Amino acid sequence: MITLENITKTYQLGDMEVPILRGIDLQIDASEYVSIMGASGSGKSTLMNIMGCLDQPTAGRYYLDDRELTTLNKDELAYIRNQQIGFGFQQCNLLPRATALENVILPMVYAGIPKSERRTRAEAALTHVGLSDRMANRPSQLSGGQQQRVAIARALVNQPAILLADEPTGALDTHTSQEVMNLFHELNEQAITVIVITHETEVAAQTKRRIRIQDGQIVDASS
Amino acid sequence: MALEALWSNKLRSSLTMLGVIIGIGSVISLTSIGQGIQKSTEDNIRSLGTDVLQVMAGAAESGGISQGQGSVSTLTWEDAQAIAEQAPSATTVSAYLQRQAQVVYGEENTSTTVYGTDLAHPDARNTFPESGRFFTQEELTVADSVAVIAPTVQDNLFPPNVDPIGETIRIQGEIYNVIGVMEEKGSQGPQDRDDAVYIPLTSMSARIIGNNSLMGVSVNGIYIKGENEDQLETIKFQVENILRLRHGIATPSDDDFQITNQADILETLTTILGLLTTMIVAIAGISLIVGGIGIANIMLVSVVERTREIGIRKALGATERDILSQFLTESIVISVIGGSIGIVTGVGITLIAATAFGFPFIVSTSAVVVGFVLSTSVGLVAGVIPARNAAKLDPIVALRSD
Repeated sequence: MITLENITKTYQLGDMEVPILRGIDLQIDASEYVSIMGASGSGKSTLMNIMGCLDQPTAGRYYLDDRELTTLNKDELAYIRNQQIGFGFQQCNLLPRATALENVILPMVYAGIPKSERRTRAEAALTHVGLSDRMANRPSQLSGGQQQRVAIARALVNQPAILLADEPTGALDTHTSQEVMNLFHELNEQAITVIVITHETEVAAQTKRRIRIQDGQIVDASS
Repeated sequence: MALEALWSNKLRSSLTMLGVIIGIGSVISLTSIGQGIQKSTEDNIRSLGTDVLQVMAGAAESGGISQGQGSVSTLTWEDAQAIAEQAPSATTVSAYLQRQAQVVYGEENTSTTVYGTDLAHPDARNTFPESGRFFTQEELTVADSVAVIAPTVQDNLFPPNVDPIGETIRIQGEIYNVIGVMEEKGSQGPQDRDDAVYIPLTSMSARIIGNNSLMGVSVNGIYIKGENEDQLETIKFQVENILRLRHGIATPSDDDFQITNQADILETLTTILGLLTTMIVAIAGISLIVGGIGIANIMLVSVVERTREIGIRKALGATERDILSQFLTESIVISVIGGSIGIVTGVGITLIAATAFGFPFIVSTSAVVVGFVLSTSVGLVAGVIPARNAAKLDPIVALRSD
């Protein structure tokens, strides 16, 4: 499903070229449950941004469902983010002034889904993550775990094939972390490809495949 | 979506709108007030009849020194009679003398303009008695002591329950019988046409002025009317020739009279008022520009503040066009709402001013349409740069910002 071929990413800092990713080759199949681990600065977030079409590699090829993505323009990438990828972030990135329901509706606005359908689908998605009684609340009125679940509901509402989560449990206590991981597990059972970026071994241990990244290179992609 | 952002920043949005409200409000009200004043001036001049020529005693020269217009009355009643007989296109000719005088009835007195005129006056000036009658040929010939008063003089001298007709008034000590009251004509610029008393030209000349011309009964001016406005140029030519012949003038530059045309005055005034209005509206337009800059400023701040929001939206699949239209919509909504309030305010101010100063209340649809189009385009122009900045933001950079 995801194929990365010799992906490199270099940032220009003044005159200096800082390599972040140095030749990443990676294959992730449909319905896999993968964790990408690495210390901070190892390049794991950059890798996630490239896989999520938020960033583009300096060199290399990225195939999603056999489609070469490195040649696409910004609008086409926005479409892929909207349709095929769901994002989870450490800070959730919910719109603070919008309610949980409005946050979940947002991706459907950009997908051009009819108004009447948006609401029903958003309500279903929030019910699915166990927040049917919190729909009218704003993020500030929700706990960290609830916010993360709203973010996951938002990520899933356009029925993407891939869920990309960057340190989703980073800001949560052990108990709520486990709830979120259980949710990921459940989603993976429903054939969604789940990719979790983390630096916590306990989190990585729950995934089916662990990829280790160090200094911009994959050191272990098998286990 | 755009509306929610505006609503959650109510104070900021409304202050931003204020710039547009003031801008559009002043453009609308000043345009409308300008048009109202123009209309009322035009109506006033038109009510005198634009088909009237006025001949005024002009700059007489004494030993090569100009004595100024009206300093010596060079026009006479005989001139008027000659014009009536000899100018074929002139249908109505009326001469007049005028002087400010004290008029007394019983205990009351008022200072007003006394006109000495002839029988053609009502036709020439388009003003007729409301009650009673104008004086007759007989009364004019014998210089009878009769007077027709206009409404303001009636109000100033007579109690409401007294019918002035049949009463006697004193003009500069002389006794006159009131035989009629003129209809109301309204004021024309600084001159209140209803503040007047009309007496026979002969009575005025003999008893109030004291005849001082060697050539006959001198007058201050002559009104001349033709069949219609198109005749005025012809009449003017005929009158010039008759008067030059009678006054022994060889070259036009020596003319001791001046012919003015109400239509010319109207045209000049309209031009001046139009220019003034345009200038004031242009100044008001500046406040609209300032309002636009305010919107642009707030939108720029708002883009910076909401960088993260933009990043989130982009991650969720918003295209550059989506973000661009969101921010453009916000700025257009601000200015259109502001513009609409401005239009209402402007119309309100116009209504108040029209009522207070007594000119017609006109709100031209074009002003409203222009106001609406202006406010929309102000929003569009002001929003373009901030909205482009927002749309061009790199999603990761935007997501990382705090």
